[in-house]
Amino acid sequence: MNKKSDLLPGTLDMLILKTLTRAPLHGYGIAQHIKRMSDDVLTVEEGSLYPALQRLLLQGWVKAEWRMTETNRRARYYTLTAAGRKQLGIELSQFEDMIAAIGRVLRDVEA
Amino acid sequence: MLIRFLKKLSILFGRGRFRAELDEEMAFHRAQAEQELIARGMTSEDARYAAMRQFGNTTRQHERAHEAVDFAFEGAFGDLRYAIRQLFSSPAFTVVILLTLALSIGANSAIFSVINGVLLKTLPYPHSERLVRVFLSNSDYPKFPLNPFDFRDFRSRNQSFESFAAFTRGDVQLSGSGEPVRLIGFGTTAGYFHVLGLQPEFGREFTQAEEIPGNGLYVVISDRLWRTRFDSDPAILGRKVTLNTQPFTIVGVMPARTEHPGNEYHSIAYGESVDVWWPFSFAGDPSKRGSHYIEGIGRLKENVGVGPARSELNAIMTQLGREHPNNDAGWTVLVVPLSAEIVGGSRQVLLVLLGAVGMVLLIACANAANLLLARASARRREIAVRLAMGAPRIRILRQLLTESLLISFAGGALGLGLAFAGVKALVQLLPADFPRAHDIHVSGPVFLFTLAVSVVTGILFGLAPALQAARIDPRQGLQKGGRTTTASAHQNRLRNSLVVSEVSLACVLLIGAGLMMRSLLNQLHLDPGFRQDHVLTAAISLPRAVYTKNDQSAQFFEKLAHNLTMLPGVEAAGAGSDLPWTGYDENLGGFLIEGKKPAPGAEFHARYHMATPGFLKALGTPLIAGRYFTEADTDAKPPHNVLIINRAMALRYWGEENVVGRRVSFDDAPKTDSDWTTIVGVVADVKDYPNSPAAEPAMWWPELQSGWSPDMSVVLRSAGNPQLLADALRNEVHRLDPTLAVADVQMMDRIAASSVATPRFAFVLVGLFAGLAILLAAIGTYGVISYSVSQRTSEFGLRMALGAQPRDVLRLVLAQAGRLALAGTAIGILASLLLSRTLKSLIFNVAPTDPATFSSVALIVTAVAFVACYIPARRATFSDPMDSLRAE
Repeated sequence: MNKKSDLLPGTLDMLILKTLTRAPLHGYGIAQHIKRMSDDVLTVEEGSLYPALQRLLLQGWVKAEWRMTETNRRARYYTLTAAGRKQLGIELSQFEDMIAAIGRVLRDVEA
Repeated sequence: MLIRFLKKLSILFGRGRFRAELDEEMAFHRAQAEQELIARGMTSEDARYAAMRQFGNTTRQHERAHEAVDFAFEGAFGDLRYAIRQLFSSPAFTVVILLTLALSIGANSAIFSVINGVLLKTLPYPHSERLVRVFLSNSDYPKFPLNPFDFRDFRSRNQSFESFAAFTRGDVQLSGSGEPVRLIGFGTTAGYFHVLGLQPEFGREFTQAEEIPGNGLYVVISDRLWRTRFDSDPAILGRKVTLNTQPFTIVGVMPARTEHPGNEYHSIAYGESVDVWWPFSFAGDPSKRGSHYIEGIGRLKENVGVGPARSELNAIMTQLGREHPNNDAGWTVLVVPLSAEIVGGSRQVLLVLLGAVGMVLLIACANAANLLLARASARRREIAVRLAMGAPRIRILRQLLTESLLISFAGGALGLGLAFAGVKALVQLLPADFPRAHDIHVSGPVFLFTLAVSVVTGILFGLAPALQAARIDPRQGLQKGGRTTTASAHQNRLRNSLVVSEVSLACVLLIGAGLMMRSLLNQLHLDPGFRQDHVLTAAISLPRAVYTKNDQSAQFFEKLAHNLTMLPGVEAAGAGSDLPWTGYDENLGGFLIEGKKPAPGAEFHARYHMATPGFLKALGTPLIAGRYFTEADTDAKPPHNVLIINRAMALRYWGEENVVGRRVSFDDAPKTDSDWTTIVGVVADVKDYPNSPAAEPAMWWPELQSGWSPDMSVVLRSAGNPQLLADALRNEVHRLDPTLAVADVQMMDRIAASSVATPRFAFVLVGLFAGLAILLAAIGTYGVISYSVSQRTSEFGLRMALGAQPRDVLRLVLAQAGRLALAGTAIGILASLLLSRTLKSLIFNVAPTDPATFSSVALIVTAVAFVACYIPARRATFSDPMDSLRAE
C-alpha cells in the first residue's frame, strides 16, 4: 500500500504545469518527473493525476495529443499552452506569497 | 466559460472516446511502471501485480477522472439509469410499492385539491379579507338577522366600516314569453355590490333613494339571465321586465363570475346562484324593531380589525338598547369574517379528511420503507461488492435515495392522474350545499403539493433503508453471501416499529370511520317526525301584486290542495310554509300562554308554520294527541282560531300536562275569546336539520286563518311512484293560474338524503381511507412476518428436528404477529382517545370514546393481523428439519 502524499491542496496543478514547461510529457512521465525532482518525497497518485490532467485540459491550460514514445508505444502527451504558462505564473506568485506568509507566522512563533 | 461548457458537452457526447483514451493512457501508465519494476530486478509477474496494486482500482480511477470534467447532473443521471434498471429487475416489488404510493399520494392530492379550492383560495372579491358578515345574538337566538332600522343605525353611526349593506332572499317570478320561471333573487340595500368590491358590467346598482318604498321598481340582473333571457341585448338598460306580474326597469347587469357570498335566511349556495337583485326598501315606525330579516355585510376600513369593529357595533347596539328598550335590549353583535362564514363547518370536515388521508400516506411510507428494507437485505451482496470495488458510502446512499425518490416521483405522477379522476368523483360526492364546490380543481398549487409530497415521501421511506444499507461491512456482506444472514437486531426493531405504527394508524382511522358510521346510522335511523318516501314536493310563489288580499292566497292553496287530493294515486296532498330538514327557522316570540308566565328575561317563542289540512298528513308527521286541521278551520265568523303544536313545544311550556284545549294568544292584551287560539293537536317533532341537537318548539296555523302566505311548498303523497305525478301537479297549478312557476319539483327523500349528505360524504371518505389503511397495514404485517419466517426457516427446522410440533411453530409465529398487532392496537386506541376531541363536532349522538366502536375496531385489527400472518406462519410449519441440518 502506498502512503498518500500530502500535497498541499491546489499544488498538484502547479507542479504539473511546471513540469510541462520543460517539454511535452505523458502522464507516467509527469509522475516520474515530480517524484524524481522531489527526491521521492512527492508521490503523485494516479487517482489524482488523471483527474487533474482532465481538469487542466478543460481549462485549456494544457493540450493533449497522441504520439509515439522512444519505445514505439502510443502515449498521450501533454503540452503547456500560453494560457497554461500564464496560469503557472499566477499560481507560482500566489504560492510564494503563501509560503512567505506561513514563514512569517512560523518565525513569530519561534521568536 | 462557454468554451469549457462546449468541451464538457463534447466529452458528454463523446463519452465512449473519452473512456477509451483514458483506458489506453492508464494501461500505458501501468505498463511503464511494470517495466521499471522489472528493470529493478523483479520477476515480470511480481512486477505486474505490484504495478496493479500501485495503480489501484481502475474503475474508481476512471470515475474520478470523469468526475473532474463531467456535468454535475451526470452522476445523478447515472444513478437514475441504474435505479430504473433496478426497478425493472424486480417488477413485483415495483408494482406493489408504486400502487401503494400512487393510491395514497393520489388521495392526498385529491383531498388537497378540495382544501385548496375551499379553504385556501381567496374569495373572488377584491381584498376579501376585509369583508365581514354581521349578525345579532342573544341567549334564545345565537345567530339572528338584523332589523332594517337597526341596520340603518349601524350604517350611519359606525366608524369602522368603509361601507355597510344588507340583503335578504326574495325570489321572483319572471313572466313574459314562455312558461313563467322562478328566479333566485335578493333584495339589497344601496351599495351592496360596492361592499363586495364588484361593479355592474353595464348600468348601476341601487342608491339610498331606492330604499324608500314607492320610488320605482328597478332590478339588476345577472350576466347569465342577460345572455339566456335577453339575448345579450346591448340596449338592455331601461328595458322593462315582468317580475311578480309587475313591470321592473333593468338598471344594471352584473358581470359573469359575480358570486353570491352566501346567506343564512332561506340560504342558497355560495357561487353564481343569483339571477336578480331588487332594491330592498323599508318604511314604517322606526321605534318598532322586533322583526329581524335582513343580513348585514360590511367592508372594514383598511386598518380596522374584526375585534374593534365588533366592539364598536356592540357599543352602538347598547345605545340602541337604551333608545328602544322593548326591542333592542339584550342583543350582542356578531362580526364574522366572510371567509369563515362561507366555509363554516366544512373546514372541520376537510381538516379531518386531510388528517385521515395524511395517515394513509404515512402508512404507505412505512410499508414502502419495510419493502425497501427487505430488498436492501436481499441486495446486501450487491452493495457489499460495490463497496469493495471502492464505491464511497455516500455514493451508495445517493444511489439508494435516488431509487426511492424515483419510486416516489413515479408514484406521485400516477397519483396525480388518480387525483384528476378522484377530484371529479369527489365533487360528485360533495353535498349539494358544500361551499365553493365549483372552485375545486387540480390546479397549480395541487401540482406543487403533489411534488412536495413526493419528495418528502421518497426521503421519508428511503432514508432509513438507505442508511442501513450504506452501513454494510463489505467483508461481512461478501463472506456470508446473504444466505444465512439474519437481520441485525437493530433492523428487526426498525421493521417491527414500522409495522406497529402502521397498525396503530390504521386503528385510528378505523375508529374514526366507525364513529362516523355510527353517527350516520344514528341520523338515518332517527325518527325524523315525517315519512320521506313517496312524497313529491314543489315550491309555488303567488305574485304579491295579484294575490293582494289575505284570503286570496289561502284560498288558492286550499283549492290546489283539494284538487291534488282528487288526483288518482294521491293519498294526501297539502301546502305548507316549509319542508322538513331545510333549515327553516321563522320564529315568533312574545306570545302569551294562558295561565303561564315566561321565566324572567325570557319569552315564549316557537317556530311558526302555516299548513293546509292535508299537509301534515301528506308529510306523514304523526299525530300524538288531538286532531289535524280540517277544512272547517276557516276564518269564518265567529272566529274559532286553532293551532297545532309539536311535542317539543308541549313539553317546553306545559311539561307532561295534556295540552289539547289549552290556549295561547298572539294579542298583547287579549280581551275576548276571539283573541285566543286553541290548541287542537300535538304532532311529532321535526328538527331544523337532521343533525340539530333537538327540535325547537314549533306551531302550525291553519292556512285559512294565518293571513297572507304567498310562498308555499306543496307536498303530494302517492301510493306509487310520486315522480309520475310531477306533470299532473304542474297541470293542476296552471289550471288555477297559468302565470305561476312551479319550482323545485323534488322528491322528499332526495331532500332528506341531501340533508345528511355531509356526514355521509365524510363517512364514505374516512371509511375508504380506513379500508385502504387496514389493507396496507395487513400487507405490511404480512411482509414483515413472512420475511422473519424466511430468516428463521432453519431455526424452525431445528426446532422440529428436536421434536416441536407444527402447532408449536405456528403458535410461535402467530405470537410474534400478535405482539405487533396488540402493540399497534394499544397505541392506536390511545391515540384515538387523544384525538377524540377533533371528531366531536362531526359526530352525532355518539361519544367520541364510544366503547363499542373501540372494542370492535380492536377486534377487527387483531383479526386482520392474524389473517395476514397465517400464510407465512403456515409456511413456517413446513420447514423441513433435514433441509436446515444439511444447509448448516
